[in-house]
Amino acid sequence: MTKTMLELKGVRTAYGNIEALKGVDLHINEGEIIALLGANGAGKTTTLASITGLVPPKSGTITFEGEDIRGARTENLVKKGLIMVPEGRHIFPGLTVLENLKMGAYVLKDQSGIKKDLEYIFNLFPILATRSKQSGGTLSGGEQQMLAISRSLMGKPRMLLLDEPSLGLAPIVIRDIFDTIRKINTENGTTILLVEQNANLALMLAHRAYIMTTGLITLSGTASEFLNDENVRKAYLGG
Amino acid sequence: MTHKITASHIGRVIWSEFKPALLASFWICLLAFPIMTLSINPTNQSFKFSLDRMPYLALGTFVLSILWRFFLKRRAFIGITKAVHQSEGLPEDLRKGPKPSWLTVVKASRYRRQGIYVLLAIMAILPFISSPYTVNVMVTALIYVTLGLGLNVVVGVSGLLNLGYIAFYAIGAYTYGLLNHYFGLSFWVCLPLGGLTATLMGLLLGFPVIRLSGDYLAIVTLSFGEITRLVLNNLTVTRGPRGISYIQPAGFFGIDLNGAPKEFLVNYLRVDPAMDINKIFTYFIILCLVIVTIIFVFRLENSRLGRAWLAMREDEVACQAMGINRTRAKLTAFALGSTWAGLAGVVFASQITFINPASFSFLGSILVLSIVVLGGMGSIPGVILGAIVLSALPEQLRFFSQYRMLLFGALMVLMMVFRPGGLIQSTREVYIHKTNGNGKGDGNGTARLEALTGAPKPEATGERP
Repeated sequence: MTKTMLELKGVRTAYGNIEALKGVDLHINEGEIIALLGANGAGKTTTLASITGLVPPKSGTITFEGEDIRGARTENLVKKGLIMVPEGRHIFPGLTVLENLKMGAYVLKDQSGIKKDLEYIFNLFPILATRSKQSGGTLSGGEQQMLAISRSLMGKPRMLLLDEPSLGLAPIVIRDIFDTIRKINTENGTTILLVEQNANLALMLAHRAYIMTTGLITLSGTASEFLNDENVRKAYLGG
Repeated sequence: MTHKITASHIGRVIWSEFKPALLASFWICLLAFPIMTLSINPTNQSFKFSLDRMPYLALGTFVLSILWRFFLKRRAFIGITKAVHQSEGLPEDLRKGPKPSWLTVVKASRYRRQGIYVLLAIMAILPFISSPYTVNVMVTALIYVTLGLGLNVVVGVSGLLNLGYIAFYAIGAYTYGLLNHYFGLSFWVCLPLGGLTATLMGLLLGFPVIRLSGDYLAIVTLSFGEITRLVLNNLTVTRGPRGISYIQPAGFFGIDLNGAPKEFLVNYLRVDPAMDINKIFTYFIILCLVIVTIIFVFRLENSRLGRAWLAMREDEVACQAMGINRTRAKLTAFALGSTWAGLAGVVFASQITFINPASFSFLGSILVLSIVVLGGMGSIPGVILGAIVLSALPEQLRFFSQYRMLLFGALMVLMMVFRPGGLIQSTREVYIHKTNGNGKGDGNGTARLEALTGAPKPEATGERP
């Protein structure tokens, strides 16, 4: 039942001489939504970069579905179903929405499957259907975030890594996007690792959470524990 | 809501731009003061001072400045109007699809195929009714088309700024030149070899620049171009600056084209007796090469690899997140882009039968880059048009003799200001949305959904050119 999907043990990552991760341990079970919280510079994004191989870790182990993936190439991880939505959206501004989505299915070859996925996406975010021939750069911030998430879904992820999906968005749009993230999780059983600044919202969504401070996991527990914990509330949730 | 430019608009713009234009004119006069007023007579080492030309200069720059500002304003105004129209009637507009440009009309035309045949027929007849000079210009233009299309793969599609592209052209030309000079190998053997050598050199350049992009990449490629030229200039094997002469033109089954075939052409087809028939043959070779290039590049752009290149151009982080092997995409872009330069180089060597390093200066790289930028980055018809304009235009401007390059530069500046996307802009895949029978969508997006995901491709109108 609770199969471990992704596990990090003692992961250390450095940018030159600056060690950003000082031995991170965390595990994510299949079908879970995990929130990774922490202040700026705590190492949240670096953790994601280490997982996806964008910044190879110095030491430690990373296993995805029982397979060692430390130092694996990003593109091979995408093929395995470990897909990241990068921070700041990173959509392709010069390509149309449709082309953006098709690019998400780059590693897949099943054309009819891609068509079905497109249909699914346009049901999930109808606004993307109406914007499908607009170039990605002309979308609003919220729409771009929707596009970024949709694009990663086109690659049929087993596990999705979301880096700050709420960045720079209006509260009402954030709620929409978070609702969709939950929907993706419940409908497809996609495991989700969510990196967020907006701790309150992330905890409402997540099953469990980890809190990072200066390159280490300092706290872990279920989301409800965190929400009810007086100390955590004071330190991370603003009272 | 209508947005038209009226006479009062024009008047207002001219009035508001009066002062800046005056200032610009004054500034130009100040700048050009020494060269416009002093004329030196080197024979008796004296100089003359005269203000005669200044009023013309002042008036000229003033008028040009006003015109310039007016067109800029107009352009901005049209842009705003378009945006207003779009935001006002967004759903309506979306249903109708974009207003078809003349290019889409041409492409969607039923006579498109016939049009291509007619064009090909004209291209085939042209050398037989032209002067030797025109044929030469046409061969050069077609060589630049090949170069432009090749560089378009690197710069336009993949977004890797390559400032040393001419080096691959040189490598192709020297491959043929050297092999022909030392081993007597024929054009047909050297054509694939030249392409291959350039491809390999492209890979070789690709490896060190995998991690580079933008300015750094530009500098490395620029150095590569210069290094290649300097090496060719200093090696004994390449005969240094003297270059290689008497390179054989392309052979035609060992038949001397200037013998019996020429007699036939001159007598029966009234071909110019001064014509070197080898040149006509070269013309057909390069024409075939261009056609092959167009087909190949078009296929490539719509392939998986082409999409990887597009993704790499658009956003390197996202490109990796999509599962694209960035290293491979970059290397193939460099290698395949260089191939065409190599092939064009071999044809070039056979065309002019003499090559030396001076033919492959940095200016050449810039010219090819200008072709891509002026034509429209990533757009195949744009690059073709750009190549023809940029290689034929300097010939047409010969009338202006010494002011030729000045005019050429001015034209480029105007182009870039008023059509920054190039002559023919690259268009993205456009899908016209299918609507219900009454011509209205049902509002919840299902009609659009059908159009987008339904039948294979009936709604897809214009693809990438």
